[in-house]
Amino acid sequence: MCAQVALLTVFPMDERIVMVDSGTGLKLTEEQLDERSAVAAIHLRHAGVRPGDTVLICLPVGPDLLVATDAVIAAGGVVWPLPAHLDAPVLRDRIQESGARVMISNVREALDAAEESRVRIVLSMADLSGEPAAPRRP
Amino acid sequence: MPDSPRHNLPVEPNRFIGRERDLDDLRDLIGETRVVTLCGVGGIGKTRLALRVAAGLVPSFPGGVWLVELARIGRPELVDHEIAQVLGVSEEPGTPLLDTVTARLRGQRCLLLLDNCEHLIDRSAHVVSALVSACPSLRVLATSREPLRIAGELVWRVPPLDLPDDASADAESVRLFLDRAAAVGTRLGPESLPDVVRLCRALDGLPLALELAAARTSLLSPGRIAGRLDDRFLLLTTGGRTAPARQRTLLAAVEWSYDLLSPGEQVLLRRLSVFAGDFDLELAERVCAAPPIAAGEILDLLGGLVDKSLVLCDETRARYWLLETIKRYALERLDRAGERGALRERHLRVLCDLLGHHFAVELTAPREPWERRLAAARASRRLMDDQRAALDWAAESGNVALGLRLCRTSTGLLPLGGNVTEIVGWVERLLALDTGDVPAEEIAHSLAYLAYGLEARDELSRSLELARRSLAGLAPDEVFPRCVMHSLIVVVLLRMGRADEALHHAEEGLALATASGDTWNQAAGLAGLSAVALTRGRLREAQRLGEEALARAREHGHRWIMARTAVQLGCVAEARGDLVTAKEQYEQAVPWLRELGGDLELARCLARIGRVAALLHEFGVARERLAASLDLSRATGQRQGVARCLVGLSVLAECEGDIEGAVLAAAAAAALREAIGQHFATLRIEELLGRARTKLGEGRTAALWSRGRTMSPDDAARHVLDGERPAPRAPAAAEPVRRSLLTARELEIAGLLTRGLSNRAIAEELVISPATVARHIANIMEKLGYTSRAQIAVWAAEQPRSVT
Repeated sequence: MCAQVALLTVFPMDERIVMVDSGTGLKLTEEQLDERSAVAAIHLRHAGVRPGDTVLICLPVGPDLLVATDAVIAAGGVVWPLPAHLDAPVLRDRIQESGARVMISNVREALDAAEESRVRIVLSMADLSGEPAAPRRP
Repeated sequence: MPDSPRHNLPVEPNRFIGRERDLDDLRDLIGETRVVTLCGVGGIGKTRLALRVAAGLVPSFPGGVWLVELARIGRPELVDHEIAQVLGVSEEPGTPLLDTVTARLRGQRCLLLLDNCEHLIDRSAHVVSALVSACPSLRVLATSREPLRIAGELVWRVPPLDLPDDASADAESVRLFLDRAAAVGTRLGPESLPDVVRLCRALDGLPLALELAAARTSLLSPGRIAGRLDDRFLLLTTGGRTAPARQRTLLAAVEWSYDLLSPGEQVLLRRLSVFAGDFDLELAERVCAAPPIAAGEILDLLGGLVDKSLVLCDETRARYWLLETIKRYALERLDRAGERGALRERHLRVLCDLLGHHFAVELTAPREPWERRLAAARASRRLMDDQRAALDWAAESGNVALGLRLCRTSTGLLPLGGNVTEIVGWVERLLALDTGDVPAEEIAHSLAYLAYGLEARDELSRSLELARRSLAGLAPDEVFPRCVMHSLIVVVLLRMGRADEALHHAEEGLALATASGDTWNQAAGLAGLSAVALTRGRLREAQRLGEEALARAREHGHRWIMARTAVQLGCVAEARGDLVTAKEQYEQAVPWLRELGGDLELARCLARIGRVAALLHEFGVARERLAASLDLSRATGQRQGVARCLVGLSVLAECEGDIEGAVLAAAAAAALREAIGQHFATLRIEELLGRARTKLGEGRTAALWSRGRTMSPDDAARHVLDGERPAPRAPAAAEPVRRSLLTARELEIAGLLTRGLSNRAIAEELVISPATVARHIANIMEKLGYTSRAQIAVWAAEQPRSVT
């Protein structure tokens, strides 16, 4: 880990701002976006997302949405965004139509709508950040 | 043990259909995730999917794949017991069972499948959470209607089977329906396919609903079934009108199937819900036969229920069982019929009778051949889950007298049955209830078995007090328990160092047993007298009494008492320095204990043989016996047994001239004993250290001792068993191997990461899209097992120049 810290100081990552959350004013740098979406992509792979799989994303507009979208693409998946404000029956239909096995959301309405669907795994952004429980070793 | 099967998964009762991708995904997930919970409504196929997943994982888990069926138990505290029982772990005295289970699983790569957690969700969550946090290599696959809601849990929602779409009828649900219809002899041609499709959609692809419907195709066409089910959805009579759609669909299918049963089949199905787990025909006849159905009808009725997929059975129809969802429905019908109390009462009574009979055949009946005694012992053990359910009912309904009777006739609950202290909890629970109308003699009788369990739990003074109270209250004609109490008091007093008092009880017990012709207790009494004589240094007397004890034990035929007396003779031989005879006597007990499945006693006996063989310089035998004993103690979670083996290994090492190994093993044993709260310095260790100091010097001995104390018991054991020195941790996987996993493009991108470039910057450099870069990076992280981009950069920076 020491080497990692040293390396990061020697080679500063890109500090360019790529998004500002209009609600909170929090900024997302290019480095943060790259890093967070890379980690999230690994979590998605571990959750069984394979190239070509549809992944539902129902998140409020903001940095998480951007990270999740990039992560699904990086994992080889197909992004199927769901607007959070849809009526319950419409949400249910869209979830059904997507045929998705995985959904990224922490929106209550979307979680409820996924109850009787064929979605196997629902992940929150918290599930997609941080160290994966048991990284695969070659 | 290396040759025992590494799983306890049942044979699949029929073909598994579909869900190929799910199986693949789940098997991968379990490699990565500590706890995966399969969630969904009853009947959606959680259990079947979990079993299938687990079966495919057997080769990946050297520590085994173990199914724990929680539907068998009704109370939270039994979750720990059930897991321990499946793993073959026995309680350690003075240690909570969960701690012992944890210690047994630590360091083992094994998969626990906890099936049907929902009714015990809090305790299940607690246990799983405790186990996975202490055992990093353990994986848990749970099935439950509700998630466990613990940290690190991945909730996997089991969907119904795929439904046919407009383009093609080839879907999982249709395949399942056709397969199960074929199993009842219905061949459905293409003309019935549209109806099958309609039916699968009406049943929403729920496997259990499809199976129940398919079982009826011999009498009803798929079209008529679909029509009737449509009506049914409007007419749900049981609760759940507001339940989620899938649950309503399932309920409608179960109810429809139930309503089509003959009146007799309906009565039997609901009554079968009282059984804790699987059952045989005899048990079903004894418990369920009451007006309006007679014992003679039960075989046919049961067959009818099997044909309708409401009851499952093995190939030979020796064991029957109900799916959990069906069992719950049946229980609800039993309740509604107002029969629950009466049925559970009869279940309790029948178990009392059955176990009373098994107890008599196994232990008290004179001149039963051993085969019959063994069969009775096994039959009694097989009924363990039903015994617990019956005891629960006794406590719940306040029927203390019958509950106590069940306790004292259940060898499975006793240390004799390898179940060290469960009896204590049951007797205490029952005695805490209103015992106003329980005869004093029944209470005295139950105290006998409470005292017996307490001795095994090392609570000597309480055990002694209760044994004396029991003796004072037992009727004079209750000879068997009186003798058992005398023998128990002998054991307790000897352990307390009070040989003179013990003598009196041994004599009294023997006299009683002799007068009544009870060979079991004659053997036990004589063995007790031999032990007293041995303690007093009267070796010839101890030998004579021991020989007589073994002769009586042989007359009785029970392997447990035969082994016990043989071991007593071994101890006497050891005391007079006749190691050859000692070893012969101990060896004699081994096949008997194996036959009985008495793992705890067997481990102890093998350790004795190992130690004596070492002293006889039969090093090969010593190694083999100590290793076998160590395996058994590890498998049953007995750390005291592991410590005992380490002491044996220390003796072996010293006899071989390896005094350093002897000190290491002794130190590891001492550290382990302290860790489990057993503080006793033994004379042998002091003597060993004295010899080591002479030979190696003070400093070297002290260094070895402290090194041994920090060694794991396994490392210390291996040190002596294989002459193996614990190696420093293996270096991480060789780098060239990792490098070759990456493609040229990935190596190039890894190199660019060391320059701190963003995905966008790398994309510009390589003239590809940032999304493609991100995808390469995800691939690199997955291949190298990394969890951040920075780790790739560090790795790439350390690579030979060619990489960057």
